[in-house]
Amino acid sequence: MIEVEGLTKLYGEFVAVSDLSFTVQSGEVLGLVGPNGAGKTTTLRCLAGIIPATRGAIRICGFDVAKEPIAAKRQLAFFPDEPRLFDYLTVAQHLTFTARIYQVPNYQEIARPLMEELEIIDKVNLLPGELSRGMKQKLAIACGLLHSPRVIFFDEPLTGLDPIGIRRMKHSIMNRAREGAAVIISSHLLHLLEEVCTHVLIVKGGRKLIDGPLEEVRHKYAEQSVDANLEEVFFRATSEPEARP
Amino acid sequence: MLALFYLQFQTVINRLKVRLKRLKKPKYLIGGIVGGLYFYFYFFRFWFRVGQNPRASFQISADHVELVEAVAGCALLIIVLLAWIIPHGRAALVFTEAEVNFLFPAPISRRTLIHFKLLKSQMAILFTTLLLTFMIGRFGGGGAAWIRALGWWIILSTLNLHFLGSSFARTMLLDRGIGNWQRRTVVSLLVAAFAIGVFVWSKQTVPNLNVADLTNISTAKEYFRAVTTSGPAPYLLYPFHLVVRPFFAVNGIQFLLLLWPALIVMLVHYFWVVRANVAFEEASIELSRRVSERVAAVRSGNLQPRPKKAKGAPFRLKPTGSPAVALLWKNLIGAGQMFSVRVWIILACSILPTVFVFSSSGGRTQGPTLIGFGCIMVMFWSFMIGPQLLRQDFRQDLPLADVLKALPLRGWQLVFGELLAPAAILTGIQWLLVIIAAASLTYLPGIGEVTLSWRVAIGFGAAIVLPMLNLISLIIPNAAVLLFPGWFQTGREGPQGIEATGQRLILMLGQVLVFLLALVPAALGFAVVYGTISYFGQTLVAIAVASVTASLVLAIEAGIAIFVLGRIFERFDLSSEA
Repeated sequence: MIEVEGLTKLYGEFVAVSDLSFTVQSGEVLGLVGPNGAGKTTTLRCLAGIIPATRGAIRICGFDVAKEPIAAKRQLAFFPDEPRLFDYLTVAQHLTFTARIYQVPNYQEIARPLMEELEIIDKVNLLPGELSRGMKQKLAIACGLLHSPRVIFFDEPLTGLDPIGIRRMKHSIMNRAREGAAVIISSHLLHLLEEVCTHVLIVKGGRKLIDGPLEEVRHKYAEQSVDANLEEVFFRATSEPEARP
Repeated sequence: MLALFYLQFQTVINRLKVRLKRLKKPKYLIGGIVGGLYFYFYFFRFWFRVGQNPRASFQISADHVELVEAVAGCALLIIVLLAWIIPHGRAALVFTEAEVNFLFPAPISRRTLIHFKLLKSQMAILFTTLLLTFMIGRFGGGGAAWIRALGWWIILSTLNLHFLGSSFARTMLLDRGIGNWQRRTVVSLLVAAFAIGVFVWSKQTVPNLNVADLTNISTAKEYFRAVTTSGPAPYLLYPFHLVVRPFFAVNGIQFLLLLWPALIVMLVHYFWVVRANVAFEEASIELSRRVSERVAAVRSGNLQPRPKKAKGAPFRLKPTGSPAVALLWKNLIGAGQMFSVRVWIILACSILPTVFVFSSSGGRTQGPTLIGFGCIMVMFWSFMIGPQLLRQDFRQDLPLADVLKALPLRGWQLVFGELLAPAAILTGIQWLLVIIAAASLTYLPGIGEVTLSWRVAIGFGAAIVLPMLNLISLIIPNAAVLLFPGWFQTGREGPQGIEATGQRLILMLGQVLVFLLALVPAALGFAVVYGTISYFGQTLVAIAVASVTASLVLAIEAGIAIFVLGRIFERFDLSSEA
């Protein structure tokens, strides 16, 4: 579903992402982990076709993001850390607009249960300015899921959500994966990733440090017989001695 | 307080450093040069020249100084009264959100915060002083520039202190249960009592002013001088005179003599402000948040305030069909109720009877002709001003460029869709103007009667060409946004100052030039077709067909431009513009 080969992104002379390769299959949830400035958001933005990769190839459901961007974008949804909404469109108008852009003929049948699931059904006539940050996040998610994407990218999806919202979001992510979507989540909340991810990719300085199924990675970084948790894996992989207890 | 002074000082220094560093980039350097030249030719040139020529000093004769002082004093009085009548909220000082977060929880006294606020406002006052001094020099004034500058500084600083003090007093009154309307009533009654006093006194002592006297400026001036310089008025205006007098000083010695009373007034205000112990924090936090939002919106190119009320959709958007229509729908909602279908129906209903009246009046009446020419003038201006005012396109959405980039749309679809809303609004306005002009211009001076068939033919021709002209005129600023995104204020730290003025001037001149160039092929097409058909005597048909031809040429140009812009947007690398 998601194939990345030699992805490199340069900002002038600064290397944000360097020769990154990985794949995510249908039903897999990949946790993208790394310290600040590791290139996680840049990677996701390249995958979503928002910024062009300097080098390398990205295929979404078989469509090359650089060569067939429209076909690739139809298959994906990208949720940035900060919900990006139009100030002057209400919740309902956002969904109507998104439906037309993605050509979803029966969008109302999809939108209603989605809004119920995300608990924004009673906010349909409100503007983003009248919503809390969590509600804005939910609206962005409702818009993103309206066209039933097969590939989903989350950049810090739990920021601003309350505990109930976090639980619902986790279930929602896992449900999407169970339904066959390939999901990538970038987050610093390692315990969350441990709960929802099947695979993990740790990056630092734009380079891949580890990539593989979560269990394998845990086992690989286990110091003795017991498997390491993702936090320990992260610290050992990124080799930050000051972070060690 | 030293820490706060340090904060303000470093803010100014760092801002200057960033500006200077930015000049290494050609776009800022060129903008800076053009902006500098503009300011030089518009302000400084006159100022410096006047400085070398003492004869061109501030043009107020000794006879008029008293009168001008009285006028200035009255103006100041009105401003001060308004500060007591209009505001309704509690005292709130504008801080940046960072200042609120750092300073409000810090162990800093309220008085120190007020001092910091006064220090900050001095930056704005000094800048305004500079600008006003230059403007005085630009418009025939001048004289000793330092006197004018200091004069402005005293007036603005005292006013600033008074606004602050009155807001504190207002809050104290509110805390004591004296509401806004009670305060307004008392102030209004005092003003009314004083006005009656002046009126009664002037009625008894000053020769009455007849309506005929108003046509004679010197009589009217004399009357105003008598009312404001004798009787009760001078007593009320006295403190205001003290504040404005230094500005009108003719030399340094007179200035110094007039300065100290003004400084005393200022000092009294200062002590009034710093000794007031009014809780302004809560209201300041809210005000600062609103100001930050507004500044962020303006800097990101969105000149409209954040909408407070949801707006209805202009039409029902079906979930399938051209995606460009979705962008039109979205941007029309963004344009607000001003451009809803209901507004257009109301406009049309109110204009049609007017059109009927004009077209039936006929003859050589001047009114309809003037209205007709006025409409045509507004229409021409709309090509230049319209795209600047109606920004419901890429310029509005550029801060959300990443969202647009993620949409599964071709670049040309996005560009076309983004341009549709302002083009539709502009066209609607212009069509109404065309209808009024066609109905009004029944007679043209030097030509004579204009028959209905001529007016219909020309009106039809204009109506055909206008949408394409609008599309072209809107493509230019949108193309500039995509081609030179760094020249536009797309982020919170958008360009400001002289270099930004220069950039805007360059873009404006560029827009005029490109628009004129785009007109050339259409004008040629029009001329060829019109010449050919009118050769066979079909002038009216020629106008219509030539207009369709010109419109087609413009449509082809617009199509090519939209396609090219679409390609540019597809390749637009947001990361390199960050």
